Amino acid sequence: MSTSADTICALATPPGVAGLAVIRLSGGRAFEICDHVFEGSQKVCAAHSHKILYGWFTCRGVRIDSVTVSVYRAPSSYTGEDVAEIGCHGGVFVTEQIIDALVEQGARYATPGEFTKRAFLNHKLDLTQVEAVADIIHAETRVGAQTAARQLSGGFTTKMSAVREQLLQIIGLLELELDFSEEDVEFVDRTGLRSLVQSLCDDVDRLAAHVKQDQVLRSGYHVAVVGFPNAGKSSLFNALLDRSRAIVSAVAGTTRDYLHETIIIDGYSIHLVDTAGLRDSNDLIELEGISLTASVMQESNLILVVNDASLGRDHSKSLFNQLLAVYPESKHIYVDNKIDLVHDVEPGDSLECSANTGAGIDDVKRALVDLVREHGVAPGDVLLNARQAMLLQNIANSLRSCLAGMDSQLSSDLLAVDLRTCIRLLGEISGETWNPDVLETVFSRFCIGK
Amino acid sequence: MYDVLVIGGGHAGIEASMASARMGMRVGLLTMDPSTIGRLSCNPSIGGSAKGHLAKEIDALGGVMGRIADASGIQYKMLNTSKGPAVWSPRSQNDKDLYPLFAQHFITTQPNITVIREQATGVIISHDCVKGIQTSSNTEILARAVVLCGGTFLNGVMWTGETATRGGRVGEAAANGISDVLRSYGLETGRLKTGTPPRIHRASVDYTKTQPHNGDERPVPFSITTPYVRNQLACFATSTSAETHDILRDGFSRSPMFTGRIQGAGPRYCPSIEDKIDRFAERDSHVVVLEPEGLSTDTVYVNGFSTSLPFDIQDAGLRSIPGLSKAEVLRYGYAVEYDFFYPYQLKHTLETKAVKNLFFAGQINGTSGYEEAASQGLVAGINASLAVREEGTFTLQRSESYIGVMIDDLVNKNTDEPYRIFTSLAEYRLLLRIDTVYTRLSGYGRAFGLIDNETWRVIERKENVKRTLSSDITSLKITPQAINEYLVSLGEEPLTESTTVTNLTRRPKVKLEGVLRYATEIFTTVCEEHEDVVHAIETELKYEGYITKLHRDIERFKDQEQMSIPVGFEYNRVKSLSTEGRQKLQKIQPASLGQASRIPGVSASDVSILALYMR
Repeated sequence: MSTSADTICALATPPGVAGLAVIRLSGGRAFEICDHVFEGSQKVCAAHSHKILYGWFTCRGVRIDSVTVSVYRAPSSYTGEDVAEIGCHGGVFVTEQIIDALVEQGARYATPGEFTKRAFLNHKLDLTQVEAVADIIHAETRVGAQTAARQLSGGFTTKMSAVREQLLQIIGLLELELDFSEEDVEFVDRTGLRSLVQSLCDDVDRLAAHVKQDQVLRSGYHVAVVGFPNAGKSSLFNALLDRSRAIVSAVAGTTRDYLHETIIIDGYSIHLVDTAGLRDSNDLIELEGISLTASVMQESNLILVVNDASLGRDHSKSLFNQLLAVYPESKHIYVDNKIDLVHDVEPGDSLECSANTGAGIDDVKRALVDLVREHGVAPGDVLLNARQAMLLQNIANSLRSCLAGMDSQLSSDLLAVDLRTCIRLLGEISGETWNPDVLETVFSRFCIGK
Repeated sequence: MYDVLVIGGGHAGIEASMASARMGMRVGLLTMDPSTIGRLSCNPSIGGSAKGHLAKEIDALGGVMGRIADASGIQYKMLNTSKGPAVWSPRSQNDKDLYPLFAQHFITTQPNITVIREQATGVIISHDCVKGIQTSSNTEILARAVVLCGGTFLNGVMWTGETATRGGRVGEAAANGISDVLRSYGLETGRLKTGTPPRIHRASVDYTKTQPHNGDERPVPFSITTPYVRNQLACFATSTSAETHDILRDGFSRSPMFTGRIQGAGPRYCPSIEDKIDRFAERDSHVVVLEPEGLSTDTVYVNGFSTSLPFDIQDAGLRSIPGLSKAEVLRYGYAVEYDFFYPYQLKHTLETKAVKNLFFAGQINGTSGYEEAASQGLVAGINASLAVREEGTFTLQRSESYIGVMIDDLVNKNTDEPYRIFTSLAEYRLLLRIDTVYTRLSGYGRAFGLIDNETWRVIERKENVKRTLSSDITSLKITPQAINEYLVSLGEEPLTESTTVTNLTRRPKVKLEGVLRYATEIFTTVCEEHEDVVHAIETELKYEGYITKLHRDIERFKDQEQMSIPVGFEYNRVKSLSTEGRQKLQKIQPASLGQASRIPGVSASDVSILALYMR
């Protein structure tokens, strides 16, 4: 039985708002970490296995939530390691704060499928389940990558590649000095190098703050509700919300002038974004200019086109087709609204509903859920954001360590260690190993070989 | 019948033969001409950035390159001394006539080695196992293991201008046939290119127009067995001009590089002068260093002027360089194009995956450089001997040596240019310093019988001095009165109370040697006799935080490195692997999960998935 000192944590219940949520912590330090943040009747370290403790989860002296801690001692736990499951009140903010606090105490965000993997490695799962576990890792990585891809759109991708570019440039300059000191090329001085690192550090800091701020908004399945003015977008939007009683975490669009709501259907959290109306299909051409609507659509998994069926079932078809062409990565559905005002004999083949009477709203919801299922949004979606923010923060820390090293005149071979850490972390953000050919950047920019 | 048959007497072949013979094997060393054993085909120099590390590692393992280099050395320089101890790297200029003589001396005085003057034309294979080789005189030489060190000789073609000559080195024939035999056995070959600059007569140089480059004031030998070396000759630097570039550009239309007649890829880190002019058109000058090729020879190596341009262009170009207006060319520069075997077809032992007991070492694996070749020869020689004795394998980790880094890179990454070692290729660069080389590797060399008793005593003595001194200075306290004068002179904060020498040495500007000299007379001899040890200890103290971090990383990846993948594992069975990952894994067939994780195209999640199947 192996218990890794490396302790991991993650939300074990689906993300989004629910009555309760469970955060799982597994590894050799699970109980010790809990005791740093849990004020209960008994120390977690002292509790017997399979006991549930009740108390407060506190962070830096502030009580965050009243929680239960279920104690599972190795090997009698899901992973076979020491496991603590923290039951708390649902909601993105609470769970996030709890996880942040655990990470602060030395836990680390679990990678996709990691709990299951540990369970397997500790013989908690039999061999016939190997295939299934492998599929989980594969699937979660895929969803993770898709989520990442979505988050990374809307300017984020450009920013990240700028970070990579800058980092490569700095490392290239440093390695040039280390491996090619005998060459007849111009080496950058420390002042120049320092200002490059400083500026990269600032950029990464800004980016990390940005991710953190946006993560609630960006998590879950995104649906952009679009259509011509008066097609009934807002009515449909409200109808979907009203029906699904569980209106949650209404993030007010104070910073953005569109409405944004999260609904839970069958346990899936779906973000609906009500966009400003598109006056006519020509607007699409100017879409670059309507950057807000453009960025909403860019970041959406699904574009829901609302058509005022009373003006004709094909009234918004050209808009729909253009959106299909512009956002081929997204799913698209066409909904005929105001169907109560239509009296044609032949029913159309698209979804139809009336936001006013409530007819067909359930069909629309079912269609949404089917698409979400097909998409494969899984628990972990929210955490991935948090993980990325943390990785960005770690990159910034490594850069700061590099700066401190420069200030105390450390030699370049040491500075390179911090920068290499940045490379590894950058790779982790996108979920793949990033193995840049540092020498390539050297050879392409400098004339090597006297 | 030989135990180990080594084909080729270059730097790889020498180490392979020596190691095998010292391991008690009956060794046959096949060469077309015994007088060419150990020839320095290109520059008259050993070591350099990262290559110096390889040369030191060879010495620590009990190889001979460092000893030969010291015996024939005429100038020594420690590179990068201002860049941090991890990248300190020794380099020597060598007498190109003496180097092969000493190499041949080692070979001929070593018991168990028979030098065979023959040309190999084929490899005899039976039941996927090597049995020996065929020669041009139609004889068969049988052996239990074969180490192929063919250098640039396999289907070698030399180019100058529009002239192509078959051959592996100027005046020497190419080896044809071997590639075909092995290709028919399913091994994949490619073409690579490398080049060498012209050699000129030393008396034709006007040295007043050049700047001398001298060796270090206190030259340091490569080998721990060499007590003393000295500098005997200087190098001289000059540079090309815009005029030179114009002259050379005029010849581009007759260059095999630009007319597309050379197909093989050349090294980016050692481009020809025509490449440099072409790719960095904005520069109107490139440095050229004139390196004497020896004490008794007239030839001077024109470093930085590697070229395959026609003779008349080479002449005119050289004569436009300050100091070379009367240059007399003794041998023109040329490019050589040759077959290599894609090294993914090798195990980490350098044995081919396809043919048992057949090993490849050196340029044949797509590397360039004497040191790269020699290190592979050493590893292949040891493993060939182990294979004959059926005693397991010898592989070096990335975390313990540059040799390990190089071989791991070779077998995992598909080279499309000649591979050269660089310090930046080592993720644990900080640990792979030249001052740790004997600690890291000599145990292996001793265990295999490559290090004789006398050398072992020298190594042990150094290690003992290091251990004792390290522990002494941890308890040795020093008073403010004794040291403050020194601290103030460095601009460091003076002490207010006594502290240990260890603590003081951790301060950035403080030198251990300085502290020891101020602290007590006792250590004066140590400082003088074991300057290297004092420096090593100081480095370890100053780097402590970083070194600990790297050791933690090694620990973290250890499980992964040690988790082996069964031979012939069916990756196609694992549906969840990414398509690219599966293809790469199937092709390279990594031996461990750690290796799998370094194959380009294999993602982190692929590795996680594989881990499940390795239980």
